[in-house]
Amino acid sequence: MKHTLKIAAAIFVAAGTITACSNNPIEAVKDAVTSDSDSSTALPRSPSADGTRLTILSPKDGDVISGPVTVVFGLEGMGIAPAGFDVPNTGHHHLIINAGLPEMSLPIPADDNYKHFGGGQTETSIELAAGQHTLQLLLGNYLHIPHDPPVASDAITITVK
Amino acid sequence: MIKTLFISIISSLLMATSAIALDRSASAEGAELYIISPKDGESITGPVTVIFGLKGMGVAPAGTEKENTGHHHLLINTGLPAMDLPVPADDQHKHFGKGQTQTTIELPPGKHTLQLLLGNHLHVPHNPVVASEVIEITVK
Repeated sequence: MKHTLKIAAAIFVAAGTITACSNNPIEAVKDAVTSDSDSSTALPRSPSADGTRLTILSPKDGDVISGPVTVVFGLEGMGIAPAGFDVPNTGHHHLIINAGLPEMSLPIPADDNYKHFGGGQTETSIELAAGQHTLQLLLGNYLHIPHDPPVASDAITITVK
Repeated sequence: MIKTLFISIISSLLMATSAIALDRSASAEGAELYIISPKDGESITGPVTVIFGLKGMGVAPAGTEKENTGHHHLLINTGLPAMDLPVPADDQHKHFGKGQTQTTIELPPGKHTLQLLLGNHLHVPHNPVVASEVIEITVK
């Protein structure tokens, strides 16, 4: 019981930190979780809706384009909610650039390879160096944790001129 | 006494209504709403999948109050509604209060106009209004 309370408090504090948009909300959640050795399973994943599809509407796989690159996110079967708002069948977008899918039981990292769109954005414009790049979308719940089952797009490869 | 009570109820209702009418949210500068698909002038076979594009703001479900967000409303064969009231909910004004960013609708054969309008947590259009261009499609 005491253990559960401790986890709940840690998550509450972490969630508060996310809502307050601190410098590193992900580390805050991770610290809160990893400070308690058995608590990784306590992180709340949200169920995804049956038949949900996440797609990159633009650019298309194989496109050769000049930067900056506008990436348009497509989501069918679920809705968008900003980070921090726990609404059933919603999530927010994360764009994975030149990296694989992260750990599914933890908040998605926040760095140059993993861009968060916690303001509920459905498109972005990014600067990419000339050359080949992979892009993939991953939906995260109000705590930035992938849904169960995960909602991810196919990875696409583009070439920036 | 009853008359006074009646008047006071009516005036509270009016006040409540005007409170809602005033509760517009500011839109972000340069926010742009557009219909990604179908394209203006397109001739298509139904059902019609309409994909919503939003630049410069984010999507939030109805009832979720966060700055620079709103939720989509699809206007079908009708003009823009009153801007200081919640967007109507009927066959011509479809609400996407669960934060959806696309929909699939059945339309009878013929010409139809489509337009998107962003509404805030209370379904009231933002200030300035965030609306897409009107497109016209033909369903075969």
